Amino acid sequence: MNETMHMEMTVNGRVRSLDVAVNHTLLDVLRDDIGLTGTKECCVVGECGACTVLVDGIPMNSCLMLGIEADGAEVLTVEGLAEGGHLNRMQEAFLDTGAAQCGFCIPGQLMSATALLQRNPHPTVADINEALAGNLCRCAGYQQISAAILASVQGAAP
Amino acid sequence: MNDTNGVGARAHRLGGADRVTGHQRYVADIPMAETLHAKLVTVDCAHARILSIDTSAAERVPGVAFVMTAADLPQPMPRFGPEYQDRPVLADGEVKYHGEPVAAVAAETKDAAEEAATLVKVEYEPLPAIFTIAAALYPSAELVQDPSIRRPGPHIETNVLREYRFGWGDVEEMHADVVVEHTYTWPMQTHFAIEPHGFMAAPDGDGIAAWSSIQHPYQLQKTLAKVLGMPMSKVRVFAPDPGGAFGGKQHPKLEPLVAFMALRADRPVRLILTLEEAFQAVRRAGTEIRARMGFKSDGTLVFQDYVNHFLTGAYADTGDRITAKASFLTAGPYRTPAVRIVARSVLSHTTPTHPYRGFGIPQVTWARESCLDEGAIALGIDRLEIRLRNLVKYGEEHVPGDTPADGNWEQTVRKAAEEIRWGTPLPPGQGRGIAIGVKSGPTTGLSYSTVRFLADGSVLVFSGTSDMGQGARTIFAQIAAEELGVPLDRVAMVMGDTSVVPYDQQTSASRSSVLMGNAVLNACRDIQRKIKAMASHLHDIDESEIVVDRGVVHLPDRDLPIVDVLKAGLGRMGGELVGNGESRKQADPDHPLGGTALFFEFNCTACDVAVDPDTGETTVLRHVTVGDVGFALNPMQVTGQDEGAAVMGLGHALMEHLILDDEGRTRNLGAIDYRIPTSLDLPLELHSFIVENADGPGPYGVKGISEGSLLCTAPAVAAAVRDATGVVIRDLPLSPERVWRAMQEQP
Amino acid sequence: MQSFSYVRPTTVEEAIALLEEHGEGARLLAGGTDLVIELRNRWRKPKIVVDLKRIEELRPSIRQEDARLVITAGTVMADLAADERVRKHFPALVEAADVVGSIQIRNRATLAGNICNGSPAADTAPPLLVYGAEIVVAGKKGRRRVPVDEFIVGPGKVDLGPAELVTAIELPMPTPPIAAAYTRMTRRRGTDLASITLCCGVDANGTTRLAYGSVGPRALLVVDDTGVLADPAASDEDKAPTLARMFAAASPSPKSMRAGPEYRVAMLPVLGARALHTAIERLARSS
Repeated sequence: MNETMHMEMTVNGRVRSLDVAVNHTLLDVLRDDIGLTGTKECCVVGECGACTVLVDGIPMNSCLMLGIEADGAEVLTVEGLAEGGHLNRMQEAFLDTGAAQCGFCIPGQLMSATALLQRNPHPTVADINEALAGNLCRCAGYQQISAAILASVQGAAP
Repeated sequence: MNDTNGVGARAHRLGGADRVTGHQRYVADIPMAETLHAKLVTVDCAHARILSIDTSAAERVPGVAFVMTAADLPQPMPRFGPEYQDRPVLADGEVKYHGEPVAAVAAETKDAAEEAATLVKVEYEPLPAIFTIAAALYPSAELVQDPSIRRPGPHIETNVLREYRFGWGDVEEMHADVVVEHTYTWPMQTHFAIEPHGFMAAPDGDGIAAWSSIQHPYQLQKTLAKVLGMPMSKVRVFAPDPGGAFGGKQHPKLEPLVAFMALRADRPVRLILTLEEAFQAVRRAGTEIRARMGFKSDGTLVFQDYVNHFLTGAYADTGDRITAKASFLTAGPYRTPAVRIVARSVLSHTTPTHPYRGFGIPQVTWARESCLDEGAIALGIDRLEIRLRNLVKYGEEHVPGDTPADGNWEQTVRKAAEEIRWGTPLPPGQGRGIAIGVKSGPTTGLSYSTVRFLADGSVLVFSGTSDMGQGARTIFAQIAAEELGVPLDRVAMVMGDTSVVPYDQQTSASRSSVLMGNAVLNACRDIQRKIKAMASHLHDIDESEIVVDRGVVHLPDRDLPIVDVLKAGLGRMGGELVGNGESRKQADPDHPLGGTALFFEFNCTACDVAVDPDTGETTVLRHVTVGDVGFALNPMQVTGQDEGAAVMGLGHALMEHLILDDEGRTRNLGAIDYRIPTSLDLPLELHSFIVENADGPGPYGVKGISEGSLLCTAPAVAAAVRDATGVVIRDLPLSPERVWRAMQEQP
Repeated sequence: MQSFSYVRPTTVEEAIALLEEHGEGARLLAGGTDLVIELRNRWRKPKIVVDLKRIEELRPSIRQEDARLVITAGTVMADLAADERVRKHFPALVEAADVVGSIQIRNRATLAGNICNGSPAADTAPPLLVYGAEIVVAGKKGRRRVPVDEFIVGPGKVDLGPAELVTAIELPMPTPPIAAAYTRMTRRRGTDLASITLCCGVDANGTTRLAYGSVGPRALLVVDDTGVLADPAASDEDKAPTLARMFAAASPSPKSMRAGPEYRVAMLPVLGARALHTAIERLARSS
């Protein structure tokens, strides 16, 4: 029987109060307990970044965090990016450049990119490639992804 | 092209919005009540005799429903496979490759399944494993497959699954001024799609429903029906978009096991592989190819002579087909008077070889293009020049009796040469390479599509193709939008359900733009014929005076949008028009491959590299890939696929290989030690180009794409490394250590 | 994932008491980038995981105390790389911290955890050795300071008793200042585990400190005070024999998947010379 603990965290702006098994990762909790399956599971060793979420605004691999460690934190997942049901500027840009091919890495890419723009509003392509080096894409749309991020910078030409 | 976002438009990907919002449901995301979680049990051995399996401790874990072993399956063990039905549902008395499932746990929670899997006690006797070509071909080598399960043939008492002899002319009779002979190897690699394979099955009345990240839902339907002893009409396969496949999700692997588990449990059962398990489930054929080329002193090819060994796995899977289809084209798009190819698919105690983007062509291309370069250097002829001199022209056969060159391939090569600025000088420590790749599309095929033109002018298109990222869903919608004159956002696609969508043989060999594209086009033409009849009736004009084309009904005195005719024709009662389309590539039983090539994917890749003389690290400075695509139905998607394939090809060339230990077990399972390119590993400049001459057999002159840009990446990079350093490397990957070692060994 | 209990003490003393109670059955959790993988793979089967992140004293912080920089155990690689004082005085540590995995990893992985994990390939070990870091260890009997060269023992082994934990890592401001550079060898340009880690520092006295790892059971520190290596006027040829001797103790494993022993041995002087060049340049720029 797994030990459980009560926790509260805000996920995409909504307070979630739940009992989690202490041996479940934040990835497990988001996907299985809360039902937010947008965050993906792939390598589970912190290499591929498919599980990237923002915890208090900072990008982290949710596969390497126990869910309970996010107690009291604000978590942002891909499901929290759309604004009032509309795709945000970055999401639109990803569609405009064709950055999402199979789509499996895309939630992680979007989260890392969102965090990047928050700390560096005008990144270069080199900055982007460095910031997203922990988000593997096997369809390897890296160039479309960086083009999308550049296009979603505030003030970029449409 | 009309303004509906039809063909040729850089239309937003259908399904794109779901992908950027996290709403796209892959197999692991599908909500299903009452599901049992499955976990595989394997042994850490490449080859072993199973002595006993004790499931008692595992069964005592709370939440465990049961543990399935071979003893629980029908006797004799059901076997399946795309060409040879040799793969057992669970290891049958013997583990034949590292990671072959021996048992499977079904439990209420993932934790319980995982816990129980560690408690299943498998007693086994390790046996010697064969995992190299040399070991497999050794005269007294143990047989990987018992002759009793082999098809009768001359090699039944060996580990050669099959031998092929292709070619023409008589190599022995040819006189060449210069002969070059070398052996080139390509390691085993794995696909590493970011979505590990997922499978789910649930009883469905007296039949079964199955979900899989499979590229060929109809092949899966057929396999499950056979293995379970059900009529196909009672087997329903749902095929959610795979999160990347690259060939690794083509044929059934664990679905039969999961189906048996679901039937036993009378509940849904879901199995999602870990990344490590995915690596053990699918891999690419490793190859050893001895290439021998004879040239006249002016660089004209006189003969090409190959012995190709493909290391396939413990079960045939697709390994044999890959050997045949790739070997058939080893000599490439060059005019060669005499060619001899002896190809063997070789069994081993390794993961069964599964299709992998390129289908063996990268491996044969590696040998051919590298050998061609060595010939050019021996002759003192420019490496671009030697290729142009021997390249076949449009309409010329490069394999006698097969489809002739279906493109102006010289145009593609010259474009690549121009973009890499071939002939301009490079500073010391830098080098330039160029290579050519050609692959045949499918040799047989069958696709059906249904299109329903609804009363309000919106459209439903039914297509059984798998959209695994290449954008199939979008291009078929674009074709319907184009032909029926409907804005793209009023076209909805129905895919991935064998009970609802008509048959599509498979999604592979870059066939879908052509085969399913033509099926969709034909379904639209079917509707256009009905529209013509409607218009004739409505306007009292003879059908022979009406032309319906690309969204427009052309009457003698005016043009009408199709949608208007539809609405007028359906009238107050409403209804819809249904169109059916079929597209078939006929088999040719006399052809060594069972059929000629439907089209070719032709690519020229060129690159500039810098090599660190002290460490062997290679930096790709500029990478150019050019493909002869016929027509780009969606240019944005073509770019995505071409650049993606180029980067994957660079991964294959520079860093990817499965590493086995002395006993044949895979050491680098998982993401830490199997390296693929990250955003920091991109060439400093990567450019893709297409040649569009509308000369393909698909709609609007389309040919297939998606494999072209990785067919000849490795030889282009190795050629550039050679150009920079003088070292010739004939084994991949070109890791810094290997390049350094080659530089050390250079006299 | 296997089952375990989870507890989050709020003081160092509480944590030590838990370690004493559970001994080998307890594992400390800071960033989790090593531990969570260990737990999932069942390499260890602890009864209890002790989360250190609620202990105020260990919360991420870098502060200057007298002539040293005190880095708390909870400080992560990203914090180190962003800190002005670390960037100014200990740039080689920033260079190492910047390559410990991707940004997602660097936002979680602690400096203390990287050292305590005891991997011979830990990126931060060579800079800490060159800069003469000291590890502050808390136990039942109080605190002790251990020079990092003594703290690192072998693969997976550090000088930590069963009921002890690291509370901080201290970097003394070196006098004279040390100008150092960090470099490594990897299989690809993207994030990777290193097959060689190397840090080289020089100072105005002509002392060269060279630390390197992933070529033996632990990272090694070797010092040259002949002045030959640090001499900006000496040629690479003049330095080569001295440099070669610095690597005499390298013993790379023949079984590594990442790189063969011959290559590693050959790359040590290559990387060493490059890091030495950069260190000398940095020293010249700073004076």
